[in-house]
Order: sequence, then structure tokens, then C-alpha cells
Amino acid sequence: MINLKKKSVYLDFVKVLKQNPIIVIFFVFFVIFSFLYTRKFLSTMNLQAILGQFVTLMLFALGPSIVMVIGELDLSYVGIWMLGGIIVWMLTPVLGLFSILVFPLLGLVTGTFIGFVHTKTKIPVFILTLSLLVTYWGLTSQLSGGYPRATEKFGFITADIIPYIPTVLFWTIPLIIFAIYLMKFTKIGTYLYAIGSNEEGAKLAGINVKKYKMLAFVISGIFTGLSTIILFQHLGGSVPVELNLDTMVNPLVAIVLGGTPLTGGSGGPHKTIFGALTFSVITRGLNISALHPTTIQLFIGILLIIAIVISARGMKGVEVT
Amino acid sequence: MKNDNYFSTLIEKTKSNKNTVLPVITILLVIIIFQTINPVFLKAQGRITLVYSMSYFLIAALGLTFVVMMGSFDFSIVSLLKLSALICGLYINKFGLWVIPLAILVCVCFGFVSGFLFAKLKVPSFIATLGISLVAEGIALLLSKGHLLMITNSSFRKLAVTFIGGIPAVFYWAVGICIVSTLIAFILPFGRRVFAIGENAKAASMSGINVDRTRIYVFMLSGFFCGIAGVLYMAQMGGGSVGLGADMMIPLFASVVAGGTALTGGVGGPHRTFFGAIIITWTESGMLMNGASRGMQVVVLGIMAIIMSIATLNKSRI
Repeated sequence: MINLKKKSVYLDFVKVLKQNPIIVIFFVFFVIFSFLYTRKFLSTMNLQAILGQFVTLMLFALGPSIVMVIGELDLSYVGIWMLGGIIVWMLTPVLGLFSILVFPLLGLVTGTFIGFVHTKTKIPVFILTLSLLVTYWGLTSQLSGGYPRATEKFGFITADIIPYIPTVLFWTIPLIIFAIYLMKFTKIGTYLYAIGSNEEGAKLAGINVKKYKMLAFVISGIFTGLSTIILFQHLGGSVPVELNLDTMVNPLVAIVLGGTPLTGGSGGPHKTIFGALTFSVITRGLNISALHPTTIQLFIGILLIIAIVISARGMKGVEVT
Repeated sequence: MKNDNYFSTLIEKTKSNKNTVLPVITILLVIIIFQTINPVFLKAQGRITLVYSMSYFLIAALGLTFVVMMGSFDFSIVSLLKLSALICGLYINKFGLWVIPLAILVCVCFGFVSGFLFAKLKVPSFIATLGISLVAEGIALLLSKGHLLMITNSSFRKLAVTFIGGIPAVFYWAVGICIVSTLIAFILPFGRRVFAIGENAKAASMSGINVDRTRIYVFMLSGFFCGIAGVLYMAQMGGGSVGLGADMMIPLFASVVAGGTALTGGVGGPHRTFFGAIIITWTESGMLMNGASRGMQVVVLGIMAIIMSIATLNKSRI
């Protein structure tokens, strides 16, 4: 009896690994880099840096990975971060610490706008969010006057509590747990998975597809809003005024690496965790190596392509545009 | 009574040709607004600025038009344009004018790779070209090492800046390529295949069109146009670094939809992008002439992109 139970636990373990090959890839990369640069890679500073980068990726990717479940691509997160940051800087002298609430508000407004416009007009989401992102960037550079503006009032968000472990992690973990709870244990999550795997079927099963699609964008906006509160301080208490392609692409790579297919229907925030971890291990490992920083960017582009080619396997019947 | 009838048929015609009439009205609006704000807009100096800003832009937008006509999207246009321009700047002293086919060839190869990823490996075109654009950008940065590259070869620069009839040669290149690509789209069977795939890919493949091959050809064509645009950009500007064209993606896309090529595919054509490019680049230049900051321009173009892509969307096909 005991033997049987052990075997089933082992089988469960194998099943989980088969479903999430990214876990194996993560450990493989971790071991390879540890052997290659033992002293540098396993130092506390580097491990902290990996955690720090993981937090950045994870927080950016949280909202989009919920939207990715219904098979859409939300790119507005960088825009919310940039515009929100500059509005916070403008409002801090007036409202003090309450000005940080701009982020969730802006996220909510953006998410509602995207959901409303998409469900009304059926314009492709990536185009809409890309245009919105660029508009937000323009507003940011207009409002900031061309300089990155720093606010120092929110230092307490990242102040050290426990040595060696970045404090942002404590803020990030509840958010991740909440996102996973939402997607896995509530009606909303189940409906979103249903819509992602077959929209027509979901409609026939009596799900109000339009309402839940809109809800997905609103939830994504709120999550991005909450995440950017943490990210704002985590990334230095200021926002850049130049749009960087890498900031936009890296969270996407993390989501796809984690195993959420671009067509939707499966995956979600819990898979993105390992995607983000693997991605930060790979980039940190490459950064330690003797490679030129530009080459690393090249590698990331190729990594994105490979990850998507692998995740696009077995979607023969799906219409790709 | 007769007059009334004439009027109603006019309205009917306008409604049915919405996507042709709207761009022309928008162009007139743009001209009137900027001309009243600042009379330099249509004077000789202003005209040259307008022509310079739209020419290479139009060529790059034509490549995107074919892709959008097919119902896909190409994100790599700006990166390929940049790569082609930088290759010209780097190797012009080594190869002379032979650098032009080299640069175009490199872009066509990149187009082939994104087409292959999209058609054969079933990667969504937006993501495939996003990856390709990262790779192209990395290569551009590696090759140029971030330096500003200047062109001293005068025969290369003459390609764009020779004045013929008071207008720089680059404009004639753009118009010529626009006419050729319109012919490709409407006279060659290839163009009809592209429209058919944009209308309904499954039906197209059932009626005997080799969908995968056509898709690869379209992305190669897009790369080809990007290569030409990059060469002419370098010839026109006389120099550039990896920072060039950083925020061109949204204007390019906006110019395609502003002309009336719907994102759903199957509608529009290269001749429409001519109007779209005029709308977008003249708005940009007009704002620049009136001293609007880059941020403000980007905001206006972003909002225009959203509104125009909603307006041109073919409602019946969703």
C-alpha cells in the first residue's frame, strides 16, 4: 500500500515535469551556470540580482499572462508604468503618499478602455495596446519635459526587513498568489480558460463572452496597476522617458517560456513564475559571461523565437494571423 | 427635385466608397489646418520638407501594406530599415554602390525567416516579427558598435537628393515603387492571391492557392521594400546611427490603416497607403513646423492610429 502511494507520488512528479518542461530547463541552466562561473554565479549578490530581476519580470507579466489565457496580447503594461510614474511625480507635492494610488487607478482606466474598445469594435488587441503604449509614452515625455523625474518619498516600499532577501519579494508573493487564486479557484478563471480554448463553445455553453473578455482586461489592468506600485520603487523611484523595446519584450518572453500558448486556453500566472525565473537565470548567466551586451540582446531575440516555435507545436488546426 | 436626387446619389456613392473618400477629405483637412496656422506649410521650403519626410516612409509603409492586406502584421519593418541603412553606411567605402543590393538582400533574407516562422512553424506573425526585430536590432548594434555613420560617397547620395523639377529624386523613387506595387497587387496573380488569403485563408488554400508559399513571398517583399527604404533613408539623410527611426512603428502602421487597408485583411491596397502616408507624415511635419514637441506628436499619432484602425475595420467580417 505504502509502496503504491510512493509510486503514484513519483508518477505525479513526472507528470508535472512533463507538463512543465520549463522546470527542467530552469534547473539545467542553473546547474550549467553554477559550474561555469561557480564563484560569481552563486554569490549572494548575483542571487539577489536574479531575484530582483525575477520580481521585475513577474510583476510586469502578471496582468498580460491573465489576458494571454483568453488568447490576446496586452502590451499596455509598460505604458501604465511610465505614465503612472510621471503622474505620481507630479502629484506627490500635492497629495503626498496617496499619489501612489494613481497606478491602480490608471491601470483600471486603461484596462476598462481596452476591454470596452475591443469588445465593441473587435480591433486586434495588440494593435490597440501598442498604439496606447506609444500614446502613453508620448504623454510621459510631454509631461516630464524630457527628463526622468525621481521621487524619493516611497523608499519604504523597498526598505530592507530581512537581510539578503529583497523586500519586494514579500510584496510580490501575495499578488502572485492572488492572481493564481483568481485564475484557478474562482468562476472568473474557469470562464476565462473556457473562452480561451474555444470562444464559440463558451458562448454556446451560456457564458457571457463579451462581459468576461472585458473583465479579463480590467483584471489585467488592475494587476498591472498594483504591480507598478512595487515596480516604481523597485526600479529606482523614477521612470524612463524613452521607450525601450527590451522592457516591453522581456515579460512576453517570460510568459511564453513559462508555457502559456499565445492562442490561449491554458497556462496562466502560475506557469509564468518558472518562465520568469528561467529567463532571469539565463540573462544573469549571460551577463556574467564574457559576451558583449549586444550579443545578449541577440540571444534573447533568438530565445523568444525558439520558445514560441516550441509552444506553437501542435496548433495545426488553429488559424494563425 | 432633380438636384435632390443627384445629391442623394452622391451621398450613396460616398457611403459605398467610404474608404476612398475619407482619406482624401482627411488630407484636405490636414492641409487646410496647417496652412492656416502656419503659411510656410505649402511654400517651397515647406514643400521640400513634406516630400522628404514622406518618401522613404511611403516605401517602408508599402511593405507593411502587403502584410496587412494578408491579415498579418509585421513588426520588424523599422529594424530592417535600420539594418539596411547601417549596412550602407558601414560598407559604402568598401563595396561602392554594390552595397545597395547587399543591404536589400540582407533584408529579404530576414523577411524570408519571418515568413518561414509564420507560414511553416505557425508562429503568430506579430510575435515572429517581434523576435526577428530584436535579432536585427542586435546585429545592427553589433555591426555599427553604436557609432554615427556618415556617407561621403556623393554618387550614393545623389540617388536621393538630386533635384528634378524642384522635387528631390527620392520622391520619384517612392512614387515609382508605389505604382509598381499597385500593379503587383491588382494585375499580377500574386496580388489576387494575397487578397484571397486576407479574405479567407482556408478558402484560399482550398481553391488551390499555395498559402504558405504566398505568405513567405509577402514577407520577403516586405523585407525588400524595407531594404530599399533603408538605402534611400541613408542617401537622403547622409548619416545615421542605431537610434534612427526609433518611434516609426506606430506612424507606419497608422499610415497603412489611415489609407483604408483594414487590419482584418483582404481590403485596401498600396495606392491607398500613398494617401495614408501623406496624412500621417504631413501631420507630423506640420506639427513639427509649428514647434510641437516630439511627445505631443507621438500622442497625436497614437490616438490617430487607434481611431483610424477602428474606422477602417470591416465590420461585416468579424
